[in-house]
Amino acid sequence: MASQKKKSFKIEPFKHAYTLDPGYADKTWKILEDAIREINGHNASGLSFEELYRNAYNMVINKFGDRLYNGLVETITAHLRSIAAKIEATQGESFLRELKLRWDLHNKSMQMIRDILMYMDRIYVKHNNKVPVRQLGLDLWRDVVVRNKRIMDRLLTILLDHIHRERTGEIIDRSLLRSITQMLMDLGQTVYCDDFERHFLVKAAEFYQVEAQEYMSSSDCPEYLKKAEKRLAEEIERVSNYLDPISEPKILNVVETELIANQMKSLVEMENSGLIALLEQDKYEDLARMYALFKRVPTGLELLRGMMLEHLKETGKGLVTDPERAKEPVEFVQRLLVEKEKYDRLINSSFASDKTFQNMLNSAFEFFINLNQRSPEYISLFMDDKLRKGLKDMSEDDVEGVLDKVMMLFRYLQEKDVFEKYYKQHLAKRLLSNRTVSDEAERSLLVKLKTECGYQFTSKLESMFNDIKTSRESMQDFKNRNRGSEAGTSADAGAPRPEDELELTVQVLTTGSWPMSNVAKCNLPRECERTCEDFKDFYLKTHSGRKLSWQTHMGNADLKATFGTSKHELNVSTHQMCILLLFNEVDSMSYRDILGATGIPASDLKRSLQSLACVKGKNVLKKEPMSKEIGESDTFSFNEGFRSKLYKLKISTVSAQKESEPEKQDTRHRVEEDRKPQIEAAIVRIMKSRRTLDHNSIVAQVTQQLSARFLPNPTVIKKRIESLIEREFLERDATDRKLYRYLA
Amino acid sequence: MPKDTIKLISAEGFEFIVDYKAACVSATIKQMLSSEGTFTETETGEIKLQEISTPILETICQYFHYKIRYQNSVTKSIPEFKLAPEIALELLKAANYLDC
Repeated sequence: MASQKKKSFKIEPFKHAYTLDPGYADKTWKILEDAIREINGHNASGLSFEELYRNAYNMVINKFGDRLYNGLVETITAHLRSIAAKIEATQGESFLRELKLRWDLHNKSMQMIRDILMYMDRIYVKHNNKVPVRQLGLDLWRDVVVRNKRIMDRLLTILLDHIHRERTGEIIDRSLLRSITQMLMDLGQTVYCDDFERHFLVKAAEFYQVEAQEYMSSSDCPEYLKKAEKRLAEEIERVSNYLDPISEPKILNVVETELIANQMKSLVEMENSGLIALLEQDKYEDLARMYALFKRVPTGLELLRGMMLEHLKETGKGLVTDPERAKEPVEFVQRLLVEKEKYDRLINSSFASDKTFQNMLNSAFEFFINLNQRSPEYISLFMDDKLRKGLKDMSEDDVEGVLDKVMMLFRYLQEKDVFEKYYKQHLAKRLLSNRTVSDEAERSLLVKLKTECGYQFTSKLESMFNDIKTSRESMQDFKNRNRGSEAGTSADAGAPRPEDELELTVQVLTTGSWPMSNVAKCNLPRECERTCEDFKDFYLKTHSGRKLSWQTHMGNADLKATFGTSKHELNVSTHQMCILLLFNEVDSMSYRDILGATGIPASDLKRSLQSLACVKGKNVLKKEPMSKEIGESDTFSFNEGFRSKLYKLKISTVSAQKESEPEKQDTRHRVEEDRKPQIEAAIVRIMKSRRTLDHNSIVAQVTQQLSARFLPNPTVIKKRIESLIEREFLERDATDRKLYRYLA
Repeated sequence: MPKDTIKLISAEGFEFIVDYKAACVSATIKQMLSSEGTFTETETGEIKLQEISTPILETICQYFHYKIRYQNSVTKSIPEFKLAPEIALELLKAANYLDC
């Protein structure tokens, strides 16, 4: 029961005795309303801030906030209606100016109204989730003035008209436009975007569509690009001058679409000034512009790249398959280098070193270099030419530069093994005839090849270099030994040797490392034979168990010859020496006699004779009958009347020349043969790890494994697989004929 | 044009001359003095606070200076701002009014 009593106990809230004057709210609002009118009428001086603030304050704390806020909305709305009417009434040009003026005044008034209603903003607005006074001012302006249909339409038309006029070259009041667009932006981004920007973009698209047509019919490609570039710059400037930055990507997109994307295809295909013409005329500047512009649109660069690729393939194909050009290997490679350099420069200077374009360039070169089967040979020949003589007056850096460039071409080759074959041949000739200009350059190229293709590729080449080096050393030993034994007979080592004494230089080459077929040794003259035997004895004494075979077709010799009264020193090949020495005993010999006496293979003999008898100024032999070719029935005689201004004469040896057609066939055949074991090895390697694999995968993997050296033909791979099955390395799966198994 | 000092007048007509900077501790006063519009307060630099009595306004002025003195102080030992309990309610109302 006691608890019930407690329950009824209640604390009475303290009540104010004081009640408000019932007319209080009306009176106070009247004061404030008048003040707001005054402010809107720009007649605020003399108003007391404190008084107005106090009144608003009191209204809010006496719970008349609603009254105050709604009253404010009404008053402002009414005021703005009258303003809107005034703006509508203005004529023509002054419309924008009036609008701007009214807007500025409105803002100023709203600022003051906000100040005196600060307390309401702070307390009432916050608690009742109303729109703050400042925003209210903007919203009302937007709804009553700007979105007033008659005002909006006119505003839009005038704005767009101004912009159109500026595009066509007139001068307009930018700052006025700036303040109008700023107003739209202040009213909210949606107002700017929906009520203005949308229309602006549509208008721009229309304008540029028409303009693109005009430009296309009146200008050539570079000019068009210049104009488009200018237009883009103008639009950027326009945005920065009197539009909001958010418009920039949008308007640029419009211009890009209309002026570039929609026209680019016709642009690049323009006759006499399109992409091809620009490429051919080296118009780097225009190409740079084209690149920069096309980059802006999604498929622009793709189009550019595709077209360039086609063009490159086309011109490249022309270069490599033109039979005229293919005659001169050095020239041929030089042309390729020039072409490559041109496009490298183009991509670097005009296309901002774009990786995708570099790749395009590479694929184009790869495509057409491999169109010509002789490319590997020519590239090797080019290197040969450079290493023989081309690098003489170049600095080390230049040499590196040239080599690097050729290596670029080398990289494009699919048949690197063919290149290796030729390179080996050419290198052998250079080394043996001592024709390399710079050992350093040779080494540097070797290092490059090694980094490019790995150790395997160059191991034989390196061993060639080593052979030459060790040969030099053992020759030194051999000479020293000779000198030692001669010490008794000849007091001075530098004294002239007896007539029949000859100086022999031997290069001992590792079989297998050097690209040479075992050609039968020719019959050396007696004097030589003796010295050779000497060397053989000497060499085998220090390297027992080795076998020396003489490769007479690779050698050369210096001879002293007397033609009547004049003496000459002749530099000839070993074969030529053998031939010439025959004439020490007889004056005239038939082709058959020479062939019998020397034992030189017919083709070599013919070439040697040709250079001895048929080259003008160096014809130390006379031929009967006189002709350019060597016939089997020809007779040769010593040319007693031979004269030359030079004391030393070089009878041109058969230098590395472009291969003749049968030789080429031969090399190709050898390459094909060499590939077989490589393909087989690859197949076995793959099968060993995979155990079973289907045909297509094997082909794919073999191709991939060997791609660093050459591109194997699928049918060849198939043949190799068959051969491996025959030899029981693999077997076909019993059920699935496409499947192979590895037999351990 | 902001003046160096301004005059605050209490309900009873007492005038307090305060540093402009100090007076601006009150957001309301600050706005009165710097409003864009051409109110009398802005022009004369005098504000008549009809709702605030002299003792309260005095305490408020003291508080303005107290606030300026210590608001950016890094020392921990900020003295307490002492006020008499009997004026607390009035002071609170005034603080709300002046937004400070």
